Amino acid sequence: MNENSKGIIDRLWGAFSSMKLGLTLLGIIAFVAGIGTVIPQEAMDQGKAQAVGGLWKTLGFTHLYSSLWFRLLLGLLCINLIVCSTKRLRSIYLRTFKLTPPSKLAQVPQKNKQVVKGELASLRESVQEFLRQKGFRVTLSDQSNPWSFIATKRRLGNWGSLITHLSFVVLVVGALLGSLLGFKGSFTEEAGKTLPIQAIQLSKGTVSETFSVSINSAEDRFLPNGERDNWYTDMSILENGQEVARDTLSVNHPFEYKGITFYQANFSNGARFTADMGGQKNPVVLQDQGQSYYKAPGTDLYLVANLSGSSSLKPSVLYQVYKGTGADPIQTGQLTSGQTIDVQGKYKLTFDSLAGFTGIQVKKDPGVAVIWLGCGLLLGGLLLAFYWQPLVISGILQSEKGKRGSLTVGVLSGKMPDSTRKALEQFVSSVTKMIS
Amino acid sequence: MLASLEVAMFYSLVVATTLCMLLYMIWLGSKNEFIGRLATFFTIIALIADTFAIILRMITSGHPPLSNGYEFLLTFVGGILAVYLFAEFRYKLRSLGAFVMPIPCLLLMFIIMSMGPEERIAQAVPPALKSQWLTFHVITAMFAYGAFAVSFGLGIMYLLKLSKEGNGEKLSQGIVSRFPSLEVLDELAYKVVGFAFPLLTLCIITGAIWANYAWGTYWSWDPKETWSLITWIIYAGYLHARLMYGWKGKRAAWMAVFGFAAVLFTFFGVNYFLPGLHSYAQ
Ligand code: HEM
Repeated sequence: MNENSKGIIDRLWGAFSSMKLGLTLLGIIAFVAGIGTVIPQEAMDQGKAQAVGGLWKTLGFTHLYSSLWFRLLLGLLCINLIVCSTKRLRSIYLRTFKLTPPSKLAQVPQKNKQVVKGELASLRESVQEFLRQKGFRVTLSDQSNPWSFIATKRRLGNWGSLITHLSFVVLVVGALLGSLLGFKGSFTEEAGKTLPIQAIQLSKGTVSETFSVSINSAEDRFLPNGERDNWYTDMSILENGQEVARDTLSVNHPFEYKGITFYQANFSNGARFTADMGGQKNPVVLQDQGQSYYKAPGTDLYLVANLSGSSSLKPSVLYQVYKGTGADPIQTGQLTSGQTIDVQGKYKLTFDSLAGFTGIQVKKDPGVAVIWLGCGLLLGGLLLAFYWQPLVISGILQSEKGKRGSLTVGVLSGKMPDSTRKALEQFVSSVTKMIS
Repeated sequence: MLASLEVAMFYSLVVATTLCMLLYMIWLGSKNEFIGRLATFFTIIALIADTFAIILRMITSGHPPLSNGYEFLLTFVGGILAVYLFAEFRYKLRSLGAFVMPIPCLLLMFIIMSMGPEERIAQAVPPALKSQWLTFHVITAMFAYGAFAVSFGLGIMYLLKLSKEGNGEKLSQGIVSRFPSLEVLDELAYKVVGFAFPLLTLCIITGAIWANYAWGTYWSWDPKETWSLITWIIYAGYLHARLMYGWKGKRAAWMAVFGFAAVLFTFFGVNYFLPGLHSYAQ
């Protein structure tokens, strides 16, 4: 029993330490992700996603990136990366910190080697002098016969690919944290209103915080040339009715409070009216394009507003009155600010001013910091792997007759044989020059 | 005034790019040193014209060149020209020009054929695009894509030389004899991909930072993001296959060609065939 389970673990370990599996997983992930850009996704286009055939839906292809089996693929890749990295840790450590000088000729890299002949003492000195000048980290052999050395430069580059691989795991962990512990929601609100954070519309997760959000002002601002500048919302956070934080946010300038971030997402205009019904005055606020309506009490008259012809300099509103479920308006017209009209003899309507409805996204994602850490590691690892390639030169000096001998030096060819060959040539020509 | 100067720069860019492409090809066949120098000269002119066109566009519109497909194609072409010129000077590799220059040339032809003047004018940028991170995003994309175009050219040269030379016999005649050795071409392609891959990574990261500021979501699996990830995985596959299985030479060259096809799809295919967040960038 015991031996059997050990066998399975060993076999699993073996399977997960293979890069072939890793690359296959990466290939599958790329392929599946590509399919997800062709099949409509619920998160992007709910209508179309619903029209996709039943089998695809059941298999999770319409919410592919959040489906269980897509996450399973990412999880397998992570295990793979961790196993691979663990296995390589020791050899990377040895290669970086425990280089030993060759004790016999066969230990000098064979593919890329050259021989320099000369006087023993001056060869030894020139080699050391050259390596010191070029900033190599040199280890000399303990014994003096044969004298040998190993020298390395940019040795931390050895860690590049390990850091790169682990950063991928960090990224997946960050994404997981966000989807387990975070939430995502939104609200649309007019200036002057306050709403509890628990009242926002949620699309993911749950809200446990209890503060309220108060919208002090909401503005759609334009530049002198007529282009839109940005949308601005001046917002306060209230804890037990007390203002504890306040900021102005705009698109690309979010505002954070207690790990919850508020993003300016969109903006819609509206209009403020007063409806005067036999002396009783009611404030009415309508959003643009009939997104909201006003039904005067005791009537079956519906009022909607349209602001398409309005500007902030000359506010005006197009209104339409519908009766019951009638498809055509029974009264339409345009109002400028301050103007009053009579609506079907039932009430008087005054257009007071424009109103702005700010659309705010609310998000809590405790994984974001981990994501940025992962991004940093990924980039740092890649820079080490590609721009900080270690160079290892080793050599052994064998005496021939008397004071003369031959130095055999070689370099590990690494990822760029052409460049390492050049480094060796430079070494040999400099040392040759120095001893002559 | 500035706008018409910009249009003049655009057409100078088109003329210079077409000329340098033709001259590089003639140089390959004729070995005439003067023609070779002329080709390089026109490439430099093209880069200068492109840079001026972009700067003028930025002055007149007041924002980085990313409000539509025309502006982004101009930066893409600039990236290719800049990385190519660097490779030509650094590695004394003029024959590469005949294989890289057709790409910016085709991109410019695409602009002329498919984009009317109204599609080329600067557009107002929506608030979401007003971010410094977006500038970094575009700059890194420009150089990464430019470098991938150069590795594509190197891959094509490798495959051509390989098919002409067959099994290792060296030719002393013909066009491919002017190419560097297969080994040099191969290692150079690797170096160029090794330069571009971290940049592509940085491009994706800056895009994620920007999206997080703008929408509160660093990654939303929109088609453009997903395809840039696929491109990234293809090049990661290239690097691994090369390192671990010794996929050098022919297979590596094919992967460089294939990877660039993914770059082009990310660039065009997504904008024209698939819907998503980035479609407003057209
Ligand atoms: C789970 C799948 C993966 C496995 C099993 C794997 C394995 C390996 C191995 C064994 C190496 C050689 C390391 C060395 O020689 O020092 C390597 C190199 C590398 N890997 Fe991976 N890897 C995987 C996924 C990834 C991913 C997702 C990336 C993302 C970028 C990546 C990026 C790299 C890089 C940049 C190198 C170094 C390449 C170079 O220096 O030229 N790997 N990988």
